[in-house]
Amino acid sequence: MFEAQEIKAEHKDLIHDVSFDFYGDRMATCSSDQFVKVWDKNGDGNWTLTSSFKAHSASVWKVTWANPEFGQVLATCSFDRTAAVWEEIVGDTPGPGQRGTRHWVRRTNLVDSRTSVTDVKFGPKAQGLLLATCSAEGIIRIYEAPDVMNLSQWTLQHEIHCKLPLSCLSWNPSLSRLHPPMIAVGSDDTNVNNGGKVFVYEYSENSRRWVKLDTISSITDAVHDLEFSPNLGRSFHILAVATNRDLRILNLTPLDDEQASQNGVTKLDIQTAAQFNDHGGTVWRVCWNVTGTIVTSAGDDGFVRMFKMHSINLWKSITSIKGDGTQIPTATEATRSTSTAIPQASSVSTLAGQTARYIKLGSISQPSREQWY
Amino acid sequence: MSKSDPKTFLIPNELCRRSGLGASWLPINQIAVFPHQQRSIREKDVPSNFASNNPSSIFSVRHNIILFHPILRKLVNESNATFIAVQSCVASKPSDLKGDVLKLSRQYRSIIRACLENLQDEISKSKVNNEERDELQNYITIFYSIECIWHLCEILFIDVIPGNIVLPYLLDWVRFHFPRHERNAALLLSGDISALELNENYWPTVFGNLLQGRIKVVRTLLKQNSAADTPIFQSVDQLLKAMPTYNIINSISVNEFNLQWRHWTMDIQLKIDAKQFINNHNLDLLMRLIVGEEEAWAEIQSNCEAWYEFLAGWLFYTEPAVKTFELGQFAKHSISKMRLKDHLKHLDRVLLAAMEFDLLEVIKEIQLMTENGWFVTHLTDILHHSGRLSTLENEVENFACDKLRESFILEYGTTLIGHSSLWEVGLSYLDFCPNNGVHAIELLLPRIPFNTEVKANKLIREAKNRELNHVAQSICKIQGMKCLKRGRLDKFLKGYIESGELNSTDLLDNLGSCMLASDRLIFLGKYNEFHKLYQAGEYKECGHLLISLLASKIVPKYFWSILLSEAIPLLESEELVFSSNDTYTILHCLEEKEEIPQMTDKMSILRLAAARNLSRALMYEAQMA
Repeated sequence: MFEAQEIKAEHKDLIHDVSFDFYGDRMATCSSDQFVKVWDKNGDGNWTLTSSFKAHSASVWKVTWANPEFGQVLATCSFDRTAAVWEEIVGDTPGPGQRGTRHWVRRTNLVDSRTSVTDVKFGPKAQGLLLATCSAEGIIRIYEAPDVMNLSQWTLQHEIHCKLPLSCLSWNPSLSRLHPPMIAVGSDDTNVNNGGKVFVYEYSENSRRWVKLDTISSITDAVHDLEFSPNLGRSFHILAVATNRDLRILNLTPLDDEQASQNGVTKLDIQTAAQFNDHGGTVWRVCWNVTGTIVTSAGDDGFVRMFKMHSINLWKSITSIKGDGTQIPTATEATRSTSTAIPQASSVSTLAGQTARYIKLGSISQPSREQWY
Repeated sequence: MSKSDPKTFLIPNELCRRSGLGASWLPINQIAVFPHQQRSIREKDVPSNFASNNPSSIFSVRHNIILFHPILRKLVNESNATFIAVQSCVASKPSDLKGDVLKLSRQYRSIIRACLENLQDEISKSKVNNEERDELQNYITIFYSIECIWHLCEILFIDVIPGNIVLPYLLDWVRFHFPRHERNAALLLSGDISALELNENYWPTVFGNLLQGRIKVVRTLLKQNSAADTPIFQSVDQLLKAMPTYNIINSISVNEFNLQWRHWTMDIQLKIDAKQFINNHNLDLLMRLIVGEEEAWAEIQSNCEAWYEFLAGWLFYTEPAVKTFELGQFAKHSISKMRLKDHLKHLDRVLLAAMEFDLLEVIKEIQLMTENGWFVTHLTDILHHSGRLSTLENEVENFACDKLRESFILEYGTTLIGHSSLWEVGLSYLDFCPNNGVHAIELLLPRIPFNTEVKANKLIREAKNRELNHVAQSICKIQGMKCLKRGRLDKFLKGYIESGELNSTDLLDNLGSCMLASDRLIFLGKYNEFHKLYQAGEYKECGHLLISLLASKIVPKYFWSILLSEAIPLLESEELVFSSNDTYTILHCLEEKEEIPQMTDKMSILRLAAARNLSRALMYEAQMA
């Protein structure tokens, strides 16, 4: 059974991205309304809006949090061709029982791109404070803040030119020292004849530059999102890719290759572990849970679907979620504290006091599917 | 609708339906769903069709976790203790592993029963409203089923049954789960016992007890019948009294028992055929049940609440020496007799699968129960340790029982880590996942939020206990960063010093130029440097640094006593560290800081050490001059 808490987002247009901080206690949202909003979960589990600021002069595509070791830091990217880094400043005089006044300050504006910046992600913390962006002109840029106490100084360390417009990027989060920093990017170029749409790069310690390890030739459809799975101590990496056609789950295994290790460049064996066309069309977003056991995808059919790994090459659909306006509790029902039955057997349960209110979600059964074993 | 179908959950929001959804995970076990429609990067940047002043909503979706209900807290904690006992029992490889595992299995069941009692108590309280009552009732149903399944699994898969004669165990199980008849008998016998048969419960109670094999109760009830003195009652009583019993104590062999039983039923059959009981329908039925007459059993089946109640009774009179592996066929037989084949509920399916020894099916079914994996995790673990699962590896392709066990424990542990006060319990489960446990902890432990130093220290301790030093360091850094941002560096400083094990020198080493941002940080950086020099044996350098720190104005007040104490070993070192001038500086500080309370007990020793060093220094300097 699932239950849901509704948070009135106050954005004036569709939300492009929702991102949670390391603990899941803070939420940042961005929208075509050019605003970024930051929400904090209080002790009762309620989300309250603590900051709202106009971040860009066009649609804000993505928002992402830095590791808390670097403080409260956000990065955004926008159609206005820039990416920005934001830091939260806490006022000096917190009143009794109050956290100090807070606001977000733009620490830097990264203006190197000549086209829309489509994705932005902080690197793994072990590498220091790194930020990668990718853009419609097909360039990955890696920035670094050499002094983590001074976030207004960022240096552009690397520019990697890909031949196709880029839509998404992901850092490999592997904690293992054996794995050099790795980035995968995807292109939403729709021309199948342009070949593979996912590129994998690795930082070579020897040549001090980013080296392309592979173009994933099995994916020629446009790619809208991709994400590496958190690595649960595996020797291989798992990448989820949202394409125009389906959700792909790829296993990327670094090979023990003598020649490769001499060059200091990893050689990858890439296998498709699973392929789901449950959305019946384009998949827009993918997202992993913390331990990398479940991946969710969102697609053209309006569904969010969850897939679970049962073994290396065995993935199964487990649950899905979709919007259904016919079940909206009316205002009076929603505010009343007694349990009033809402059509279709979902009921509003209210806990005493100020604690967060969760609605039990109604469900429908899908046609029976094969299940595990 | 089968419970096992993947379900679609509905977000009650019209915009979410029209626009489509996006989703992001939030640590540890939740997902946020929001109205979302991807825009191509080549499109013009104009407001979407959904732009309006009517704000959109985000839905934070989570599993409804009943284990977080306060009333189930005891169950979670106590079963955790038993779980750990199971692991340490297995690790110590006792000579009687089976016996020990059986004891622990019973311990789990007594925890469930205690939990059921708590729930019963709670539900009878007057302050409970209807909604809460429904919820509690739901929990009772769940945990009642769990106990019922666990008990049967314990008999079939964990217990060692002498001679494989399972019936006495099965009767115990049925008696426990259908206590109605025994209770009714007690009620009947404790009340007005004249003309007991007029009570509408009289005959149902007689038959109920008969089916559960409580012959003594049946005889007692029959003796209270006002016709008990008639020959027909006397005869029935005599026959019942003569029923042969099989148990380990009277040490008769199974064959011998079977022979006795056959003689006894043949005797009864003869009497039935001679129409000896024909004048009393109930007694006639009773006798015909005993000899296993199909029609009689068909007549009585409506008296049974469940097919397994029927099954136990049927076996008691027709197959008293039934072996465990024969149970499945008799179970199916009972189900078809009661015409339940197409009406099996979840509990029925699990029990049937258990009797058919289809362990995988049992595990698959109990996964679907809505108690968030508590049952499947603990039962699979104990079945694994009793050696029951390993046999499946030969039968089922690609099946690894240790992986199955671990996947359940991982999921259960992760669920608990998501709770603000059960996270430690959760960690203790992951500790027993040999393949992925430590990696999961590495990912999950740093994500446990901490708002207090106490909790930060707890997390650091848990990380250190598992030799995850980088996780501990990261927590220190984050704590330091938090303090820094809140302008409470001194607090960080204090924490740094007080918990000597708290190793955030990493942060200090990397402070770089930003150290200059604050006096406190400069001091902290210098103090860190002092320690490094000291460890490296650079006592001269060390001394210089200490003196410059003492002379500076950046030492926090509460730190004076620590800093001055650091001077003692240097004052007393073999090699002369401090010049006479340095020593005067120290003495000067001593005079100045005399009033600091922490200083009083160190004052005399410091003065002595300074005086001795001063004399050494003066003599040395005089020689050099």
